[in-house]
Amino acid sequence: MKRRPLAVDFEREALPHLSALYAAGLRMTRNEKDAEDLVQDTLLRAYRFFDTFQAGTNCKAWLFRILTNVFCNNYRDREREHVVLTEAESSPANLEQFVGGGGADGRDVETALLGRMVSGDVEKALAAVPSDFRMAVILADLEDFSYKEIAEIMDCPAGTVMSRLFRGRKILQGLLHDYAVEQGIIQSQPQLSEGDGVAPVDMAAYRRRRDQGRGSGQGQGEAG
Amino acid sequence: MSCPNLSASVRAYVDRELTGFDRQAVEQHLAGCPSCARQVHLEGRFKAAVRAHLPRPEVPLALKLRVKEVLGTQEIAPRRWPWLSYPRLVPAAAAFLLIVGITSTVRQSQSMVLEQAQRSYHAEMPMDITGSDCGLIASWFRGRVDFPVHAPALGGGATCQGGRLVNVGERPAAYLLYRGPTGHRVALLVFDPRDQAFDGPERRVVNGREIYLGSGPGISTATYRDRGLGYVVTADLDEEALTRLVTTSFGH
Repeated sequence: MKRRPLAVDFEREALPHLSALYAAGLRMTRNEKDAEDLVQDTLLRAYRFFDTFQAGTNCKAWLFRILTNVFCNNYRDREREHVVLTEAESSPANLEQFVGGGGADGRDVETALLGRMVSGDVEKALAAVPSDFRMAVILADLEDFSYKEIAEIMDCPAGTVMSRLFRGRKILQGLLHDYAVEQGIIQSQPQLSEGDGVAPVDMAAYRRRRDQGRGSGQGQGEAG
Repeated sequence: MSCPNLSASVRAYVDRELTGFDRQAVEQHLAGCPSCARQVHLEGRFKAAVRAHLPRPEVPLALKLRVKEVLGTQEIAPRRWPWLSYPRLVPAAAAFLLIVGITSTVRQSQSMVLEQAQRSYHAEMPMDITGSDCGLIASWFRGRVDFPVHAPALGGGATCQGGRLVNVGERPAAYLLYRGPTGHRVALLVFDPRDQAFDGPERRVVNGREIYLGSGPGISTATYRDRGLGYVVTADLDEEALTRLVTTSFGH
């Protein structure tokens, strides 16, 4: 059968982004089966409506916009979203703990928190970030989209992208700190209220911290 | 601590979002501000370290095969205006589209508002701010939208749940979520009504005020003006119940 030129264009333009779509899909749905379905659904829609894609524009951003729409409509875990959002969030650890104090050579990264965590811990922490914020972090920090592109993908103003990205990174830092405590990478966490009236990020994290606080008594600051 | 009034610029700088003068201004500041310079350094390292921990997973072979298989059985939707490819029809079609375009611009902007209201309602996106204090939620939008947001008291004791910044066309707008007395979700889109026409399938005048009623899948919408702002109320209620909910707010 003779192949339609548009189908050939689709293979050339869209399919190279399959691994980026799958990576984002897996981190958004948090399970392989849903990620495969999400990506298949995304590509199917993209294929059907490929005539609306303007050649020469950013195909990856166009595909991610479809992925985001499909995810929001079909896969968002609504139950979970409701407990997660409170007003303030902040990491009980500071950035320096994560990456080391740092001469430019970066030698102390290995001794810092992130240097001693495995990828699985970071994946788990990212998976616990609420979906809007997680999506912003994935798009900006893992897929290198600009604020403007993310605004189009997530259908929100650029200012909102900045705030979601900032909050998303803060929440991620808080959760990484929690996992580090859980894994015994650091022994305990400092008090939550470091200066700016910090509220817990989500109920699960809050309960974890509360329970650990009860279990371990007074913490003595963290190693590293 | 980094300089609070610069933190947004510094973050944008870390994300390589600044160019030209903006970039130079931040670089100049960083040269004389060790705490901001340190912040930039640490933020950059944090991003890099997280990224290093999160490589792309391998795409399962099954998915690759599924994609190939499914796409092989599908058709790309035909171009929506195939007759435009006939050269003789192009000038006539262009003239027709120009006329239709001019006369329908206003109608399109109205549907843009309704489309945004319905999309936000169905998507159930998380709120940027949550809480039951309507005043606090309204004041959160100060500086984020170009108009003062007021959260009207909707009828029947509907309580505020949260707010989210959205766009209507190019302009930011406020999306407020209420919980109705019977547990229904009621959403209010507050927008700048400049360039927006107000119409809908059904026009009613209640207490001397025009309300335009419309409906989408499983929902009703009511569009109206109040003190120079535009409002769309969306809820999974019928049009009568929605009208009662909206008109109660007119007394306040």
